[in-house]
Amino acid sequence: MGLLRAVLRHPSGRIGAAIILLFLVVAALGAIGLTPHDPLKQYVIDRLKPPSGTYWFGTDLLGRDTFSRLMLGIGESFLVAFASVAVAATAGTVIGLFAAWWGHLWDGILMRIMDVLLAFPAILLALLIVAIEGPGVATSITAIGIVYTPIFARVVRAPALALKGREFVEAARTFGSSQPYILSRHLLLNLVAPLTVQITLALAWALLTESGLSFLGLGTQPPAPSLGVMLAESKSMMTRAPWLMVFPGLTIMLAILGFNLFGDALRDILDPRTQERPA
Amino acid sequence: MHLNFGKTLLTSLAMATLLGTATLVLPAQAANLRMAWAQDATGLDPHTQTAFSSLRLLELIYEPLVRLDAQYNVVPAVATSWEFSSDGLTLTFKLDPKAKFSTGDAVTSADVKASFERLLDEATAAAARANFLSIKTIDTPDPQTVVFNLSQPDAPILVAMSGTNASIVPASAIADGSVATKAVGSGPFMLDEWDPNVKEVLSANPNWAGGKPGVDGITISVLPSESSIIDSMRANQIDFALFNDPTIATLIPGEPNMTLNRIPGLAYNVLQLNPSRPPMDNVKVRQAISCAVNRQEIIDTALVGEGKVTGPLTMAAFASDPASLFCYKQDVEKAKALMAEAGLADGFSVNVIAATGEPPYAANEAQVLQSQLAVIGVKLTIQTMDLKVYVDTWLKGDFDMAVAQNGGRPDPYPMYNRYFTKDGNLIKVSNYADPELDKLLQEGRVETDIAKRKPIFQEFEQRLAEAAPWIWISSTVTYTANLATVKGYEINPSGLLFSLSKVTVGE
Amino acid sequence: MNYLLQRLLTFPLVLLGVSLLVFFAIRLVPGDAIIAMLGTEAGLLTDAQRASLAAYFGLDQPVVVQYGRWLAGLFQGNLGISTTYGKPVLEVIIARFPLTIELALLSMVIALAVGVPAGVFAATRNNRPSDLVVRLFAMLGQSTPSFVFGLVLIYLLSVNFHVLPAMGSFTPLFVDPLGNLAQMILPSITLGFAFAAAVTRISRSAMLDVLSDDYVRTARSKGASQRDVVWKHALPNALIPVVTLSGVEFGYLLGGAVIVEQIYALPGLGRLTLDAISQRDYALVQGAVLFIAFNFLVVNLLVDLAYAALDPRIRLGGR
Repeated sequence: MGLLRAVLRHPSGRIGAAIILLFLVVAALGAIGLTPHDPLKQYVIDRLKPPSGTYWFGTDLLGRDTFSRLMLGIGESFLVAFASVAVAATAGTVIGLFAAWWGHLWDGILMRIMDVLLAFPAILLALLIVAIEGPGVATSITAIGIVYTPIFARVVRAPALALKGREFVEAARTFGSSQPYILSRHLLLNLVAPLTVQITLALAWALLTESGLSFLGLGTQPPAPSLGVMLAESKSMMTRAPWLMVFPGLTIMLAILGFNLFGDALRDILDPRTQERPA
Repeated sequence: MHLNFGKTLLTSLAMATLLGTATLVLPAQAANLRMAWAQDATGLDPHTQTAFSSLRLLELIYEPLVRLDAQYNVVPAVATSWEFSSDGLTLTFKLDPKAKFSTGDAVTSADVKASFERLLDEATAAAARANFLSIKTIDTPDPQTVVFNLSQPDAPILVAMSGTNASIVPASAIADGSVATKAVGSGPFMLDEWDPNVKEVLSANPNWAGGKPGVDGITISVLPSESSIIDSMRANQIDFALFNDPTIATLIPGEPNMTLNRIPGLAYNVLQLNPSRPPMDNVKVRQAISCAVNRQEIIDTALVGEGKVTGPLTMAAFASDPASLFCYKQDVEKAKALMAEAGLADGFSVNVIAATGEPPYAANEAQVLQSQLAVIGVKLTIQTMDLKVYVDTWLKGDFDMAVAQNGGRPDPYPMYNRYFTKDGNLIKVSNYADPELDKLLQEGRVETDIAKRKPIFQEFEQRLAEAAPWIWISSTVTYTANLATVKGYEINPSGLLFSLSKVTVGE
Repeated sequence: MNYLLQRLLTFPLVLLGVSLLVFFAIRLVPGDAIIAMLGTEAGLLTDAQRASLAAYFGLDQPVVVQYGRWLAGLFQGNLGISTTYGKPVLEVIIARFPLTIELALLSMVIALAVGVPAGVFAATRNNRPSDLVVRLFAMLGQSTPSFVFGLVLIYLLSVNFHVLPAMGSFTPLFVDPLGNLAQMILPSITLGFAFAAAVTRISRSAMLDVLSDDYVRTARSKGASQRDVVWKHALPNALIPVVTLSGVEFGYLLGGAVIVEQIYALPGLGRLTLDAISQRDYALVQGAVLFIAFNFLVVNLLVDLAYAALDPRIRLGGR
């Protein structure tokens, strides 16, 4: 909680937190159906209406309310982002910890596998996974999760290795604490800082990657829209109905900005090394 | 420093501007037509290719015996005249003595014979083979005469011969197996270079019997999306283009220097039900779905108003007025009553498959259908898939329902015998055969009198629409667009591109 | 140096891993390779024809045998034949590579030309409004998906200024340099934008670090002008992380920019691989991914070497 307070005192952390909170609230409202219109209802006579008092962000080709769809879309995109980062963080942490703990051959094998995933071009790896499983929310989560796993493995392994040699872990070992106990108690506690930062930044990348995949036609299944799917749909309508591109575009930028600002503040406060993986 | 930063940005923008305008004033190469499409050809063998874009490319390079004019009348191509014998069992062609392949060799009856024998050889896997099965033997009394001996009267065969899939290829290319790699034809252009997914370069065929084409060559660029094609046309980088996406094509009339050409197609948009799976095996359920669908609304929304409501037959010569077909006007009450009769008053859930971006509006079409069918309790779950996976699934008939766009033919028999007769090679896709439909198709096939064929096929259409194995929705429109500098383009149903042989490009 | 030696040794191992992964992953993608080759209505093929086609492309062998053959071919520089192009895979890739290199270089030039001055400037104005403006822009740059930026750019230029990105048939650099640049400038700006944002951020923070270092203070106390301190004394050291970042980023860009190539209709390595996946061109997907991974690993190795060579602290620590 002290950390959260510190972030909120940090100027960019404050803005980032405000944006993320706003998005979470909007997504929650969308999820429980508190939208101005039914996001899936096709108001056939009101197709392609520009923003107005009735349709705040206009309507799309099928006469659906863009604002309500955005509320739903934020939820879909956040679901993909949070779930995929959860997958990547869990898998990466486990792999990183085992690599550090077992060392030697296992370390070599596990980390070389991570190197292989890193050397594999990210968006192509994600594309291949989507091609294998067929597009959908679950697939996007798996794909983005796998792509970012090696980042977390690296982030966790380095400090874990450093900690492994430190006295208090050695001491715990000699005093006969069981391995899982040592792992969870000492290592994980000391990994909180780098992991939190990495998770926040990974959320921003996950949103970017999801929208990229959707742009290439591999997003969520209709009629549920993710932000990326809405953007992809707007491509052919750009000159006819620019609002279809402008609002989802701004929304996704703002969401990514929120996570980036928050993550930056965390990094300033905690100052760990982070890994980059541009999509 | 601040200024510096701004300056850098400004200069790069200014550079973009300068360079952008620079290309605007570069003189266009007058004699070369710059064309673009979003979907590249997939191969060069005119007998096996079925992809729309391959056929478009090949119709510039190859010629069939005959063509269709704008009214779907049969007109000369490699052949100058033709005649059925009075018993309908022989069909004789006289070939154009001027017809030559791009190599300079004359097109002879031996080439025609070899081409059709290749088409009929099962090992070729020719796309149009089924349409030529009535050919018993082929005689070549002299180099300019070809006689097809038929096993039974076969009226649609002449129209079938007008397709690019029935192109005449050199007998020598068949002999050395180079048909798929060399592309030697007797058409207006020759293929000089093909860089798949990037471009094709064509030049005028000096030996073409039709004379000298209006342009010296055509460069076809493959651009990743139709929106980038329209952008390139705005930038005066592309003279002529093909469009499939109505949301893009309908923007063109608003563009100052562009003309849109609409070509009503024979292909049709359809919701295929799978009658081998319950509850679609119940005709009442299928009819209920047909009644619940508002076809015009789908056209107005998902297809931005492009296309017309159609029954199974899309060709003007045979089509009935859609209003006369079973439940072609939305009737939700009747639909609900039918569902109740089928014991499904509460509805049911099914999956519907759709290909990503093929046709471009597939996902939108599926979503409108989803909301229309929800009214009678039919809950669709949409599953969009990559085109290749979709084709796989579609060929296996492994779906509850499918949003599809299927190709049409100028004649009803070759169009539907493959789907709705028990020996049809795509019967697995339709999962629906009916002896009465079989009988009607056969009758229509052997009848040579047009006036008598029409009522037969109209009965076929009525019956098919009422059995509703599929829900036919709308006819399609294909589009070409050209800059004002392109003159002389005419629409020809045998080929969107064939008339490029007459086109000129000027300032 | 020990670390670099280890990197060199694991290099082939990682490549082998990539080859395994891509080989089996592409075969897991549903959609029959033969049907993909022939397009729709391939239902016309008889089983015998299908089998003979499969045999022609070696697809009838057990997968492990296919992998073995491919691997053996790799050692002779033979990446196989592409089913879409009917040409050797390497030839197809090499034809697309110049564009990818050019795009990567141009966007790096833009990123450095904008990012380094902006970062240095922001560092000298630490926490003043002008610093915040630069940081905000950098933050926005990192938060904008490339296709949003690209689409907005196309939209603004075409609708408001009637200046259009020169798309259409691609003009290679050596055929028509001016025409080529006209086509490449917008894609490079699109890619360079996010890249510049990253460079700005890292040069700012590196500059701030260096400016607080002892030797810079010494220079200052000896009466060097602010300008000399920043540009002559501080910048060279502040550039070290910039070099690292740019190198890594360049390594990624050499893999092709799938989305930007898609928006601007450029036939680069990214689009090639994307098309190859959708056409189930196994040999081409394998070859392209391996090629991209190889370049990526080489560039990263070079970046590490450069880093070691540039940073005096590392050299000291190493000895």
